[in-house]
Amino acid sequence: MTVTTTPLAAAAASPAARTLKLWRLEGFPLIPVLILLLIAFVAVFADFLAPYDPQIGSLARRFRPPAWEAGGSMAHLLGTDHVGRDVLSRLIFGARVSMVVGLTAVLVAGGIGTLLGILSGYLGGWVDQVIMRVTDAWLALPALTFAIFLAAIVGPSELNIIVILGGVYWTRYARVVRGEVLSLKQREFVRLAVVAGCSKWLIMRRHILPNVLNSAIVLATLMLGVVIVTEASLSFLGVGVPPPKPAWGLMMADGKKGLMVGYWWLTVFPGICIMLMVLSANLLGDWLRVKLDPQLRQL
Amino acid sequence: MKQFIVRRVGYSLLSLFLLSVTIFLFVRVTGDPTTLLVEPGASPEDIENMRHQFGLDQPLWVQYWLFATSFVTGDLGQSFYYRTPVLELYFQRLPNSLQLAAVAMVLSLLIGIPSGILAAVRVGGFWDSAGKTFSLLGLSLPQFWVGLVLILFFSVYLGWLPSSGSGGILHLLMPAFTLGWYFAAAHMRLTRSSMLEVLDSEYVKLARLKGLPEALVIGKHALKNALIPVITLAGINLVVMINVAVVVETVFAWPGIGRLLYEGITFRDFPVVQCVVVLGGSMIIVVNLLVDILYAYIDPRIRLES
Amino acid sequence: MTPRSSSTTRRSVLALSAAAMTGLAARAAGAAPQDELRIASHVSLAPTWFDPAETPGIITPFMLLYAMHDAVMKGMPGNPMAPCLAERCTMAPDDLSYAFALRKGVRFHNGEEMTAEDVKFSLERYRGAASKSLKERVARVDIHDPHRLTIHLHNPWPDFLTYYAGATGAGWIVPKKYVEKVGEDGFKKAPVGAGPYRFVSFTPGVELVLEAFEGYWRKKPAIRRLIFKVIPDEATRLAALQGKEVDIAYSIRGELASELLRTPGLSLNPAVSSAPFWLYFPEQWDSQSPWHDRRVRQATSLALDRDTINQALTMGHSRLTGSVFPENFEFYWQPPKPAYDPDGARKLLAEAGHQRGFDAGEYYCDASYANIGEVVLNNLREVGIRVKLRPLERAAFFKAYAEKKLKNIVQGASGAMGNCATRAEAFVAKGGVYAYGSYPEIDALFAEQAVQTDRAKRTAILHRLQQLVQEKAIYAPIWQLAFLSGVGPRVGQSGFGLIDGFAYTAPYEDLTLKGQG
Repeated sequence: MTVTTTPLAAAAASPAARTLKLWRLEGFPLIPVLILLLIAFVAVFADFLAPYDPQIGSLARRFRPPAWEAGGSMAHLLGTDHVGRDVLSRLIFGARVSMVVGLTAVLVAGGIGTLLGILSGYLGGWVDQVIMRVTDAWLALPALTFAIFLAAIVGPSELNIIVILGGVYWTRYARVVRGEVLSLKQREFVRLAVVAGCSKWLIMRRHILPNVLNSAIVLATLMLGVVIVTEASLSFLGVGVPPPKPAWGLMMADGKKGLMVGYWWLTVFPGICIMLMVLSANLLGDWLRVKLDPQLRQL
Repeated sequence: MKQFIVRRVGYSLLSLFLLSVTIFLFVRVTGDPTTLLVEPGASPEDIENMRHQFGLDQPLWVQYWLFATSFVTGDLGQSFYYRTPVLELYFQRLPNSLQLAAVAMVLSLLIGIPSGILAAVRVGGFWDSAGKTFSLLGLSLPQFWVGLVLILFFSVYLGWLPSSGSGGILHLLMPAFTLGWYFAAAHMRLTRSSMLEVLDSEYVKLARLKGLPEALVIGKHALKNALIPVITLAGINLVVMINVAVVVETVFAWPGIGRLLYEGITFRDFPVVQCVVVLGGSMIIVVNLLVDILYAYIDPRIRLES
Repeated sequence: MTPRSSSTTRRSVLALSAAAMTGLAARAAGAAPQDELRIASHVSLAPTWFDPAETPGIITPFMLLYAMHDAVMKGMPGNPMAPCLAERCTMAPDDLSYAFALRKGVRFHNGEEMTAEDVKFSLERYRGAASKSLKERVARVDIHDPHRLTIHLHNPWPDFLTYYAGATGAGWIVPKKYVEKVGEDGFKKAPVGAGPYRFVSFTPGVELVLEAFEGYWRKKPAIRRLIFKVIPDEATRLAALQGKEVDIAYSIRGELASELLRTPGLSLNPAVSSAPFWLYFPEQWDSQSPWHDRRVRQATSLALDRDTINQALTMGHSRLTGSVFPENFEFYWQPPKPAYDPDGARKLLAEAGHQRGFDAGEYYCDASYANIGEVVLNNLREVGIRVKLRPLERAAFFKAYAEKKLKNIVQGASGAMGNCATRAEAFVAKGGVYAYGSYPEIDALFAEQAVQTDRAKRTAILHRLQQLVQEKAIYAPIWQLAFLSGVGPRVGQSGFGLIDGFAYTAPYEDLTLKGQG
């Protein structure tokens, strides 16, 4: 632990310079980053990559095994599912759904959480009290329970799942960010800014926000995995991304029954995808945490 | 200190109140239990009759007042579905959840701590990655899938373990592992980082300078101190586990609180949902309160800050 | 300890290598004792189901009523209204009273003899579904002697027996003295009835244990103990059945059902329920909507490949239907068989001005039946009707359905009891809970039948009404869902499908294990 504080300069430096710096640091998780980039690439170019429409199938072609198994064919490389849809195409488009749901949900959660965390930590007083009491109440409600409720109110759709996951997970950001802000407030440069007569909003925007971003980014990489897996659990409980949308979590929940019957490809392939994505995001997050913010704990 | 504790308790009660109002409203705006207890198409009188029985024909604030006043006297009402006092239901299930959480926590620490230590001692090495990967896998795979694979292998294929239900320790193994594995990553991470910090500290350096064998340094001096935050986290997570095991409980038909709550939600069994959420929430709020007080006790600066 | 078959060498090696483990496990995971039957239920059992007086308007409680209680008359194999606790029922010529002669020597589980007092008490105590209609119409109950009584009505009510001895709990008899002694709550904690099995213990959300009642009037049950276990997850239920932890597993659907056929020793037992599924077009009364055009609605029906869906989801055991009325209901009119004709559907759509198909909005359904929606979606898309699936969680779905908040297409179903008139009241006629609009001709017929006392005339009116529902394509009916259950190798007589239209196993006294008579 040599770096104990993040130098102001690093936070203010241009993103490109920062990335360059990170590259040179040791232990860079190359493979996880490549995997994430690959998933992102597939997500963006799904329309060109997928051989079939992921939402349309025919019952006549259901449960075809992958090409290399007996009864499989090259027409459906990774087989077909219970409605006769091409598994490979669904995986490819699933990357998009999972990426969009995962990233936006994390962004929503991070946005709400960081904002409230800064307000609560910097303004203090009754604002702090109100925000923290709400956060506590929110935290006391198991995330999944809360998600089921929200799903019941707004009905499941891709957008709503994002809102739900974002609405459930912001509390962790709020707590972490508030803690950071409390210690930043005591630091020299913030005090100087106050003395110099900067307004509260300016200080929060200019001095506080850039310095909590590191923690928020680390937390985001770690939350990505949680969000993706929660999305799958919601599908299992019947309130996730609605079929026939190709989301990895939904594919696993749907294919779960097939596992009992020997249709292993229905869950194993999306399972591998989820695993790779979550694992990669976590490994990247762990590394970032050590490099950017060694004090951060309890994540 | 006394003043600090009083204030914190006050805050906790406020959070609890917020929670109870939230859950009270939520459960009511999202569905009507009567539409589930009768088939669609049943006569309107039957439905009206049922609403009256449950007191749902009263204005919302009256319902909340009744709920809050009877809550204070320790009466949480009767389940719409089971027609049994909800507290009775809750305490029937609580021991199961405690068992599950306790065994899951043991398994989780058995995975998390050793892999955390390995990762800290061999930073960047094979064991670092292997330990990290195994712990993180539990986080990366949906619990329902892990559970089903376990059932298929140990119950259907090998026939060693019962697939579902409660009973002996054998019933517990698979659900506890599934639940524990998910939490293992958090324990691994904290063990690793707190281990790293301790290894960097003066007294460990001193112990090394004295020429003590590395195993002794790590096993005795470092570990003892590094585990304190891990045990704190484990305490919090134990309470969390009791309340969030719904997926595991569903897959393994384990009669715990998560399942009670989930069924309560699907049937819109208002009293059950209110009871489980408020009691579970109290548990979590109390644990957070204890941790806060503990830390304030250790580090007086916190007291002044808030 | 039951030795497990070790067919492969690899398996026995594995087993040997963990001998201690296996020793322990064989006891835990092993099969039930010889005279015990274990049933895995898909739903949590509620204590209200132990009490006939609380019977809500759903069929599930009958799963338990058939075990613990008995009725004056009830559905039995080969007879939908078989005399049980009553030996005879005679209707007076003026249609105003029903005389029952009770079976003599019938005893409750606590040894008390069943009398006319108990029958009267049970009817008066009943407060479940339709209790209001029953009580409004019953004038009084006269007891002539301990085994004879007459129920008098205010007005002739042709549906009386449908309600009393059919699907409500009013005709299921509880012991008056006992109920008065232990009170309402006491009764739910320790129910006593006249059925083939008596209550032993109940753990909410876990299991219910019942024991054979030796003194059951019809016959002594063959199996000594019944255990109902709650296993919410479908795949786990199947695993428990495969692991011989349970003998009967309720509700095993889709591809899991095909595993039942494939696993030696297990069997698939279908029972067609009386719950029709349908597609409903809530916007058909809005002249701006594409659904306003009858041809579009008819095209939707023609686009459904019901046969293939049936094969895929319920192994071909559901009954395809062209009606939203269950076929075992009174006054049922048999519509023509629904056809699958995608070309015809496309043609109708073209005539309605949708040559290239159209974006039809959303398709709402109860999330637990989203699997039907998923395949129907495919069918609709093939003819050019493009919809988005919107599965809602069950409670939210029915709330929105009843509050008339749904649009475009609704996939609905109902297993409510009653007859065709009651069904029409809720789903077709003006003001019905689930009717988003109505047609004047149908409303007129509905009003007419409600006051028609002549049975033949009323039947004719209701037939005409159902015909109109079909002609106007208010609905596109799909099927009466088959309820599929799995049965393990130890079971002799499983009791599935013995009683027409009943989804669960019954009558329990007829069940046997292999090696029993």
